[in-house]
Amino acid sequence: MNDWQRKSPLDWEKYVNKMVKVAAIEKHEYEGWVLTVDPVSASVVLATFLENEKVSISVVLGHAVQEVEILKEGDDEMKQRLSCIFAPEEGKAYSP
Amino acid sequence: RFQALLGEPAAAQGLRAALRERYLRGLGAARGRPARFCLRAGVCVEAVFGAADVGAVAFQVDALRTPLGVQAAALLRCTDVLAYSFLLD
Repeated sequence: MNDWQRKSPLDWEKYVNKMVKVAAIEKHEYEGWVLTVDPVSASVVLATFLENEKVSISVVLGHAVQEVEILKEGDDEMKQRLSCIFAPEEGKAYSP
Repeated sequence: RFQALLGEPAAAQGLRAALRERYLRGLGAARGRPARFCLRAGVCVEAVFGAADVGAVAFQVDALRTPLGVQAAALLRCTDVLAYSFLLD
């Protein structure tokens, strides 16, 4: 278990809604907005917004994470945008 | 893994639940989408994301493209996977 996996939810939560650079093993690097960190595997879920309005999701597995550096804080608009990515679709309204 | 059962403070448990819920919704969003998996030693493979087990042991994928051909269904060990990515519309 590495240092990143040993962190607590209180630590991981500090990275949510922030732009980060994740340094992974074998010299891989990933950048994106942190959507969440899975508390079971410590995997970091990153979102990057592409030009064609698509969103690229990258998941860096917890065992491969070496260091996470915060590059930018997210403003309220970005937090809202990020919260919508995996939000459940609104339930259909049923007529009585 | 089961820290939540070990007398964690309520605030931490609430955060743990919120983080996990978003992660599980992400897995739901990944289901059925083409994904690219980066494995150890610089190997990258493409497959259709299927599911992950509860303890982060393996990913189930479909149509895994390998140098020997396309595997209709396969399990990728999480310890072999460094990262994976997929596109959302």
